[in-house]
Amino acid sequence: MDRNRKILISILAMLVLTAVIAIVHVSLTIQEEKSFSLSVNVPQFGPGVGIARVEGPIGFSVDKSPFSMARGSEDLINRLDDLEKDSNIKAVVLRINSPGGTVAATQEIYQKIWKLRKKNIVVVASMGEVAASGGYYIASACNHIIANQGTLTGSIGVIAASPNLKGLLDRFGIKMNVIKSGKFKDSMAFHREMRDDERELIQQLIDISYEKFIKDIALGRNMNESDIRPVADGRVMTGETAMKYKLIDGIGTFEDAVDRARQLAELPASSPVYDEMKTPLEQLLFSVNGMFRGNGLIQNGLSMDDYYRLEYRLLP
Amino acid sequence: MIIAKIRSLLWADFFLYSLVDPRLLYRQIGKNDPRPFLLSFTVPAISTISGILALSLLGKQTSFFFTKITYGWILLFIWESFKIVILAALMDMACQFQGSRGNIREMVSLLNFSLFPQAFILPTSMIFSIINFAPVFMFVLFSLVLFVWSAWIAVIGISEMHSIQAGRTVLIFIFPYLFISVVFFFMGLLSLISLVSYITT
Repeated sequence: MDRNRKILISILAMLVLTAVIAIVHVSLTIQEEKSFSLSVNVPQFGPGVGIARVEGPIGFSVDKSPFSMARGSEDLINRLDDLEKDSNIKAVVLRINSPGGTVAATQEIYQKIWKLRKKNIVVVASMGEVAASGGYYIASACNHIIANQGTLTGSIGVIAASPNLKGLLDRFGIKMNVIKSGKFKDSMAFHREMRDDERELIQQLIDISYEKFIKDIALGRNMNESDIRPVADGRVMTGETAMKYKLIDGIGTFEDAVDRARQLAELPASSPVYDEMKTPLEQLLFSVNGMFRGNGLIQNGLSMDDYYRLEYRLLP
Repeated sequence: MIIAKIRSLLWADFFLYSLVDPRLLYRQIGKNDPRPFLLSFTVPAISTISGILALSLLGKQTSFFFTKITYGWILLFIWESFKIVILAALMDMACQFQGSRGNIREMVSLLNFSLFPQAFILPTSMIFSIINFAPVFMFVLFSLVLFVWSAWIAVIGISEMHSIQAGRTVLIFIFPYLFISVVFFFMGLLSLISLVSYITT
């Protein structure tokens, strides 16, 4: 028995020895680590740059869901309003990633930006992937516009579109009963051909909105209308081309836009940035929301709400 | 007194029998000389430190190792002891359902000593780590093998404790794992239903 006990003691001693060797081995091979620091969101304070974002199609109404951060033009205006009231905000960077949107919603944002400018708050537009049509309209109100070389911008113009399903409906023998108070009440209806007088009426609306677009760009960019009109034919262009036509002020990234905002507002380079989205989850939800909004066949083509919608928008 | 008992090496019998003959292990526990209850908790302490060291050898070595080997070890030891007490209580309950006499104190000691083979995960892992031959695979493989060995010790020990067949003892051994799994499954399911209901309403 004593012999067995001694063997057992040897086994235990071997285990202890192994543990000591393992501890020494691990201790000797510990790799040099980068200095570890806890990341804590410390509240920022002092004069700085506020960030506001325009993501996806611009419009008043948005579909809200528990899994998205729905953003309509009113939400953006509320954000700009908050920045305007905040005494720490000396400059605003408006991050635009939008193909445009409805005329009225775009104009409201445009006016709001002007209000900020009149209060001596510098507004710099930073164009992301797309800042076309209404997206550019908004940007034109800013003091300074910065775009990436590959940003799709321009598309200056107004569009109204509705599907003509007359042939399809005739084929299936479907007829619409329409009771209306005036001959223009169902202009752009999908169940019949558009009449000439209706086309003329819609064209007038388009022309008025277009003229307003040109005037507002000229005002915002401090340019002559005659300089804008040659490129205001709905053409899409890259940031580089837009620079050539003086539709933007510089090529650069979002960070460049923040730096430019600091310079224009005469803020130090280390001044804080007040972003509305702080966590990666919020950023993900925001981008998902922009991705899925307003691109469906039903919303673009068949929804009854869209018949009288004039848009400053780049349509694919 | 204590030094004399340590020198007598009687305590080594528990460890020895847990490796060579679980029936003798239970008989030694039943003799209660030396008292096995507190001594048995040295086994979870040894097996947890072995597990931590073995895992540390496999991964990237950082200064977090010192935290693992101190506070982490204490935490794991407490968790392991808590787990043993719960498992022993449930196994003892299952034994009583089968008409045996309850004896949770001896059951805790037996389950603690049954963990002793798991201390060997460190030398086995170290060998394969040094020769760099599939160390992670070998760690997983030997963990499973040593778990089966531990389970076998517990099953044979319980069989000796209550004089019941090994087949029925296997059921007694499995009962706590099944019971806890079913309870946690339904808790998870009900939590999920409640969460989805909260989000959608």
